[in-house]
Amino acid sequence: MSVLRPFRATDMFKFNNVNLDVWTETYGISFYLSYLSRWPDLCCVQQAPSGRMMGYILGKAEGSGAEWHGHVTALTVAPEYRRLSLARKMMDLLEFVSDEIYRGFFVDLYVRCANYVAIDMYEKLGYSVYRRVREYYGSLGVGKGGRDEEDAFGPDMRKPLSRDPGRRSVRPNGRDIIVSAHDVP
Amino acid sequence: MSSFAALERQLRPIYDSLDTGSNKSAVVACNKLLKKHPGNELVKALKALALVRLQKVEESLVLCDEVLASKPTDDAVLTAMMHVLRGLGRNIDTVTMFEEAFKQQPSNEELGAQTFFANVRAGHWKSAQQIATRMHKQFHEDRYLYWSVISTVLQANDTTTPSSMKNLLYKLAHRLITSGKAPSYVHTDRFHLHLSILRELELYDEARVLLDHDVGKSICAANLACDELRRDITKLQNRQKQEGEFAESKIVEKGDRNWLEFLSFLDAVFILDTEPDQSSEAFKTACLDRMEHARQVLEKVSEKDGKKDRSGPLALLELEKRARSCDIKQDDERLLTLLKSYFEQFGDKACCYEDLQPYVVLDGDDLSSWTSFLESVPSSITTTNELQRRINVHKLLRCNLTASQLTLEAETTRASLYFTEYLQTLPLGANLPNTELQPADDLAILAGCAYVNLWTISKEEKYLYIAASLLEYGLLKSNASFLMRLMLVRIYRLLGAPTLALEHYRAIQTKQVQHDTLSHFILSRASTFSLAATGDLTFATECLETSQIYLSNSQETADFVVRAFTGEKYSQIPEFITFEDHLDNSLQRDIIKMEHVRMRFTHEVVNSDIMDLELIELKFIFDRNHHDNRDFQILPDYQPRIIPNFNDQTMLFGRGEGHGWLMTLLRMYIRALQQSSDLDDTVEEKLLIGDRPKLAADSGNKAPLRDRLRERPQEDLAELTPDEVALLDFTTGLADWLGCHHDYIRPPPSVVLAEAAKQSELKTGHPLKGVEILPTPPNGSPNGHHKKDEEAPAITEPPEIVVNFFNTMKARFDEAQQSSVVDALHVATLIQEAFIFLVIETLRFKSASVIKIYKLNSLVQSFKAIKTNAVEILKDISVSLGKQSDRESTAEARKVFTESCSPIVTPEVTHEFVLNVAKKVGDARKKVLEGVGKGMTRVCSNHSQ
Ligand SMILES: CC(C)(COP(=O)(O)OP(=O)(O)OC[C@H]1O[C@@H](n2cnc3c(N)ncnc32)[C@H](O)[C@@H]1OP(=O)(O)O)[C@@H](O)C(=O)NCCC(=O)NCCS
Repeated sequence: MSVLRPFRATDMFKFNNVNLDVWTETYGISFYLSYLSRWPDLCCVQQAPSGRMMGYILGKAEGSGAEWHGHVTALTVAPEYRRLSLARKMMDLLEFVSDEIYRGFFVDLYVRCANYVAIDMYEKLGYSVYRRVREYYGSLGVGKGGRDEEDAFGPDMRKPLSRDPGRRSVRPNGRDIIVSAHDVP
Repeated sequence: MSSFAALERQLRPIYDSLDTGSNKSAVVACNKLLKKHPGNELVKALKALALVRLQKVEESLVLCDEVLASKPTDDAVLTAMMHVLRGLGRNIDTVTMFEEAFKQQPSNEELGAQTFFANVRAGHWKSAQQIATRMHKQFHEDRYLYWSVISTVLQANDTTTPSSMKNLLYKLAHRLITSGKAPSYVHTDRFHLHLSILRELELYDEARVLLDHDVGKSICAANLACDELRRDITKLQNRQKQEGEFAESKIVEKGDRNWLEFLSFLDAVFILDTEPDQSSEAFKTACLDRMEHARQVLEKVSEKDGKKDRSGPLALLELEKRARSCDIKQDDERLLTLLKSYFEQFGDKACCYEDLQPYVVLDGDDLSSWTSFLESVPSSITTTNELQRRINVHKLLRCNLTASQLTLEAETTRASLYFTEYLQTLPLGANLPNTELQPADDLAILAGCAYVNLWTISKEEKYLYIAASLLEYGLLKSNASFLMRLMLVRIYRLLGAPTLALEHYRAIQTKQVQHDTLSHFILSRASTFSLAATGDLTFATECLETSQIYLSNSQETADFVVRAFTGEKYSQIPEFITFEDHLDNSLQRDIIKMEHVRMRFTHEVVNSDIMDLELIELKFIFDRNHHDNRDFQILPDYQPRIIPNFNDQTMLFGRGEGHGWLMTLLRMYIRALQQSSDLDDTVEEKLLIGDRPKLAADSGNKAPLRDRLRERPQEDLAELTPDEVALLDFTTGLADWLGCHHDYIRPPPSVVLAEAAKQSELKTGHPLKGVEILPTPPNGSPNGHHKKDEEAPAITEPPEIVVNFFNTMKARFDEAQQSSVVDALHVATLIQEAFIFLVIETLRFKSASVIKIYKLNSLVQSFKAIKTNAVEILKDISVSLGKQSDRESTAEARKVFTESCSPIVTPEVTHEFVLNVAKKVGDARKKVLEGVGKGMTRVCSNHSQ
């Protein structure tokens, strides 16, 4: 049970309980504002009735032609609110808006290879690996989680939307396809 | 090859240098080019930019003004100048520059847009609106119409707009928006803007038409922001009933589980529909019917969702709570039954405690029945789910404890129960990677809360030792637990071990905007722990680094406002502006500033340059409308309802500082600095570069600054410790005593300005703009002192409060030293601060010529005596602190610590572990006591010649 509402600029004052998590990065002001100034409808918050923030999702729409799609940039839920289907609901909303409003062909996202919980979750939600990106998080060196990210092959995962009934945007052997970060837009 | 192309080629390295931050080489390259093209505006502008970045403000100003005078229209020049002016804080000049350019090329649409944006950045909504209107007429683009609409709305909402104008402006916005050719709903954000105007003007029927339109409906279905407005308007329109039905259909048919739908659904149950009032029988009967229906719906939802969603069961609880508050007779048992079944179902979720909090405010039989239910939950723990359930039992029992259950003994038993269970259950998470939190963490946190409460009850420091050791152990097992770290930050500050607090704070890795919301943990009253006087600038640097976020805000946020205009995301614009304002006028920002000033004066020479600079900044702050963005919610709150929460319990000195504290310190400092400074308002006005802060519409009614500096509202003083109040009394007495002499001796503005002009000309080779140099008045003396015609004020004896301060406070210090390390540091640093005030207030009377001209001998004798006494006392205190510091890192002190921790010393939390914590605490205390002590002697020798 939670309130689903738009992410607002002033939520930056309130997201500490969510962002102090090891897997969640706190970016500069411009990062959040650049999303809000372009795709406010792909950014939303789950809030407890007490007013505490429970989690949020930030997304964008990008690509051209058959590559036009929705992208999940950040998805995070505060530790005490996990396993309550909050991530699932926020993903539902992002997919719905990417489909209905932006008319994208698919939704995609990158995960750090060590983030097993997230990879499992996305698979349950119907995402499959499209390719693996070498050192996608490489520039961060040792990740905030304290793991050595050197041989990271972070999966780039996709799920087709209604505009892609033939499922052309995904492929079964994605795990075997490895590209370097430079080849990814 | 044209000379233009040649110039172009020569410009490129300048741009490169600027991009890479090599500003010095940019200046060199510009100078070279200027020799060949002395009149080139672009080169001048680029040179000005490099100079600003090199902090050579005066030189940059000269060039900047030259370029502005030429009224540039060239794109590159305008862009460069925009950055120069931004660097100088002259947004208003940017506006003028673009307006001039647009005037010269009225058909240049890009220039029009730039001029509009310049106004947006400066917050000049009225001119922005006029430009947008003009652009709409001229270029026939719909979006310019919407730019003018939102500019009007922003003008209406601006603090500088009188409230009487607000409605008028909204009406104008309404007229503009309805004049558009295309309806607003062709675009989501235009639609949003339209609805928000209608809501403000209470034109609900008109809003209804838009909302009931098919396009309106589909926008609201896919856009949360528009749906929020829709919900709001529907409520304002008293259509709770329809909204409830709508919500019901969403919940039942579409499976919507947004809690907002459940709230709308429940609101409709308790509406006054045809019934006259809430106490009438008719109302109750109607409600009973509707409640029955609601219950059925929610029970079905609960059944269908099972453990997958908590909305149904929680809505049933909410329904029951609301029925009770309307006094509608129902089954007495129902609330308890629902609570129990909720706990059965969701007791193994971490959020269960938070979910139930609003519903477990119970007493009498309800409470005892609930308590015995919780006590009967099996306490054997073999799985993480059972563990979570156990944690929830503890939290739920704890929050309802009564005064008689909160004795030292009972709380001690509880604390050790939490701790024992913590150790027992830790193995359940043994296999988790170290990035994960441990499932048993909350038991350690509960134990920490209980020990801190024991400290509150008994005032015995040993309980803080236990809490610290146990949380350190918890972190060893759960390195990612930021909650334990934050608790430790608080505890270490209470223990007078600031470096340990800082270590934990840094481990949390606060970044970006978190500096604003979380830095209070470490910087609140941080001057107490500052060793700046000894040259250790750790905390002073922390203040400066933390404050970077405010610079980023003023440099970056406005760009996104502009982007939101370009992308027509009108729903975001007011939000961005609010965000910018809340950060720009953040209370924490200025609390940090204040702490930094307090630290600065302990290690820098107090001279008129520093004093003038700080005076100007503090005056700016004084007129701000502050916003408190500090996050206190982040701390766990598992203390019983009837006692203060963990946050309040662990505030340093038991008092959280807020607006009142800040205003009081500002009054003290501004008053002292103003008295000793030669800058009066007219001088300041002339010498200041950059825009002045905008004044709120009501600020005209404020009393003059002079009077406001003397105010002491009771509610402000409540945020001060008694010792801080003593400092306030001292500084007030001092300022009252010396004020008249300052006023008499301070040179007139014309003389101060002439001197400033002379200095500036020496530096830049150009006269100071806008300052005329008046001939020296006939009674002026060559060294700048001007005897006034009126008679010199009589020299009086210093007030008692000033004379006695240092001796009284020394006695306070001796007492505080017995009670705790932080109390001793608090009193000691305040005495030192009083001494610094004395230095600031008497600086003017130092020179022999002043003393001679104004016959100040007896005045000087008076304050010299006070100063000598103060120095002696500070030296005494310094010695005491030194002795105290020696006692801290001894084997004996560590023994006291480890023995205090015996309740938690176990095979897991070993004696060695605790001893190590003891050692770290001892070392940290030693360091700060020694440092503050040594710093004091430095302050004395620096300031007492
Ligand atoms: C990943 C994350 C967002 C999941 O949030 P959540 O709200 O707990 O997820 P949901 O409850 O919606 O879970 C949806 C499904 O994912 C799977 N899942 C989620 N967390 C899981 C876990 N810890 N273990 C196993 N499966 C899990 C489950 O199948 C779950 O469905 P179920 O509960 O019905 O079995 C959250 O753990 C998180 O914020 N992690 C840190 C930030 C992060 O890693 N973000 C992803 C980066 S791209």
